[in-house]
Amino acid sequence: MNPSLVNNSSPTHPRWRKVAYGGMQPGYDDNHTDESFLEGMVMNASVVKRDMLKVMLDSVSISEYLCIVALVVLVWTCTLASTIDENSLLLIDVGLLVSGFLILLFTQEMLSLSLLFHYFLNISFFITVLYVLAPIYQTLTRSISSDSIWAVAASLLILHLFLHDYSESTVKAPGVLKNPALTSCISVNASVVASVFIASRLPSRLHVFAIMLFSLQVFLFAPLVTYCIKKYSFRLHLCFSISLMAMTLSFVYTLHRLLFVLLLSLLVFVNVVCPYWLIRIQEYKFEINGPWDEAKLCFDITD
Amino acid sequence: MHNDRPDLYICTDHLLVYSIKHMTPSVCEGDMMDDSQKHRILMVSDFFYPNFGGVENHIYYLSQCLLKLGHKVVVATHAYGNRSGVRYMTGGLKVYYIPWSPFVMQNTLPTFYGLLPIIRTILIRERITVVHGHQAFSTFCHEALMHARTMGYKVVFTDHSLYGFADVGSIHMNKVLQFTLADVSQAICVSHTSKENTVLRSGLPPEKVFVVPNAVDTAIFKPAVDRPSGSEIVIVVISRLVYRKGVDLLVEVIPEVCRLHPNVRFIIGGDGPKRVRLEEMREKHSLQDRVEMLGAVQHVQVRSVLISGHIFLNSSLTEAFCIAILEAASCGLLTVSTRVGGVPEVLPDEMIVLAEPDPGDMVHAIQKAISMLPKIDPQAMHNRMRELYNWHDVAKRTEIVYDRAFKCSNQNLLERLSRYLFCGAWAGKLFFLVMIVGFLLWQLLELWQPADDIEEVPDFTLPCSCDEEMLEKNSVK
Repeated sequence: MNPSLVNNSSPTHPRWRKVAYGGMQPGYDDNHTDESFLEGMVMNASVVKRDMLKVMLDSVSISEYLCIVALVVLVWTCTLASTIDENSLLLIDVGLLVSGFLILLFTQEMLSLSLLFHYFLNISFFITVLYVLAPIYQTLTRSISSDSIWAVAASLLILHLFLHDYSESTVKAPGVLKNPALTSCISVNASVVASVFIASRLPSRLHVFAIMLFSLQVFLFAPLVTYCIKKYSFRLHLCFSISLMAMTLSFVYTLHRLLFVLLLSLLVFVNVVCPYWLIRIQEYKFEINGPWDEAKLCFDITD
Repeated sequence: MHNDRPDLYICTDHLLVYSIKHMTPSVCEGDMMDDSQKHRILMVSDFFYPNFGGVENHIYYLSQCLLKLGHKVVVATHAYGNRSGVRYMTGGLKVYYIPWSPFVMQNTLPTFYGLLPIIRTILIRERITVVHGHQAFSTFCHEALMHARTMGYKVVFTDHSLYGFADVGSIHMNKVLQFTLADVSQAICVSHTSKENTVLRSGLPPEKVFVVPNAVDTAIFKPAVDRPSGSEIVIVVISRLVYRKGVDLLVEVIPEVCRLHPNVRFIIGGDGPKRVRLEEMREKHSLQDRVEMLGAVQHVQVRSVLISGHIFLNSSLTEAFCIAILEAASCGLLTVSTRVGGVPEVLPDEMIVLAEPDPGDMVHAIQKAISMLPKIDPQAMHNRMRELYNWHDVAKRTEIVYDRAFKCSNQNLLERLSRYLFCGAWAGKLFFLVMIVGFLLWQLLELWQPADDIEEVPDFTLPCSCDEEMLEKNSVK
């Protein structure tokens, strides 16, 4: 536009408005850009400032579950090497069951008698079905070679660890509406299938029953128990986790020194290196929000 | 492509000869405009008639009004079923349906260089001066713009949609947009919010982006002579029933409004995957007699559905512009809409009630609209809409964009290539390579089939009598 024309019309032309109706606004081109351009833009709206200590404390859950899985592998190894016989394993199963129930009893005040009876009935049915199916598990994967068995079991356990939901328990209390995520289901199934693979290398059906019961107890109910402990008291959760780590490390140390170094490195990596890495890398986060974004509904869609 | 070209020639020449035989070549002097102001525009997009939608309507009406201003307009799109080759539409609008099949949602397969020979032939035959691409998600458009820039033509791009920055599809789409718009002459957006979005996504300087809105054909969307009277209030919803149109919001809002206002009735037009949810809502709240579901509504039936109501409800979660609101306002309906994207810019406050995309706020806005209803005069609203939105005004503003594009200086290959390098650490080098190969392929085509050997299409102008006759036919329709 001509500067003189701008000067002539400046006392009379109205202020530019951010509207689309009414045609071209007098005195302004269609590519006019004023100070209100991008004033609705918000950058890094959802960025949370993180504290090193808090992130380390939060990562204890991951280490705790790593130790639980390491203990399971330890029991598998000892059972396969005949260090633990089936009677000892059954004793461990009963001990785990009783201690799990006691922990649930202490941490959940509203546990009622009918709910306890319901749990007992379910678990009895579960154990019966497992006992009946034990011969099938023993012979199901016997024809697969041992190298494949070890490789597949290790892969499935790693998959289980990667897809595991560490923030909540996988097994929900009755009445909870939210469904578990797909990755969480895959994770649980991977661990159960790994147990089935291991079961084919055991000498008797009682062995198979004992190892399957042990594995299913740990993989299905350990997240629930640890979640209840954490909800009850964070300090108790920390004590339990540290005790579990110490116990696991000592057992692994007696078994194999290289694995001890490996597990210790992994725990240090998860608890110290990753939190530090997360805090360092977060400064590169760049997020743009504005009126152009698709609106998010504030209610749940229940199909 | 080699086998298809002779068919295209035969089809073109045949139709052209047929047209010339039936028209006298006399030209009225009054229709002539300044030669320096005339443009020869090629519109390119995956979306055009016989498909129906906002982009299709925009290209068609804009082309018609540009033809009336004296420019020459040609449309290029992919084949639609049996519709392949060259067709002439109203006003002598020439459309190339290039035999290039769509593979998903009317988008053609991206091929980088597959379109170069046919686009080059069209540009030379029609003596095109400006290439105008439409819609960010049109692969046909992006390829045509890329090749037109390689050949040195002026390029204008119109963006019709809003995209975010977080989901996987948007991230990749924004990178493609940055690539194709790195070298564009000018860009057009349909709202100011859309301009902000496009500037952020593509990295274009804001002064290169014009805001030229959509418009509505007010001759088609007229209010009813007699408004639906009585104590009943009818609220109309016409949209595709998908998540982005906020059907889940409707499921929450409609039962509440029906509970608060016993005299309110809903008419819902449209089809889609979320229709089942609406049907379930009707069953659950026993609203079968108060919520009417029409199913899919043909475009020619939209007006008759709109004039049967008093209020138009739009629950979209994202909109760059929302033409449906214009159509409803042109029919004299008061609008209630979510405050998303470019919607707050579309209508003055006395024609629309805005609400946050929240069921409670939506119900509150509908109540406010019901209280405003006695003061609404549909005919006055229609007359106001004719002043606010006009396709002729859109064409004039687009003409200014074309003129501005021509004032941009031409750039040689090195300057253009350096601009592509700035698109990113890795993407820049990739874009650079794509453009180099494109340039080499173009030079190869120049050697194989020089531009001088390609036959140019002669121009013809509709006589005044034919033009008026056609206008009468349009008005009868």
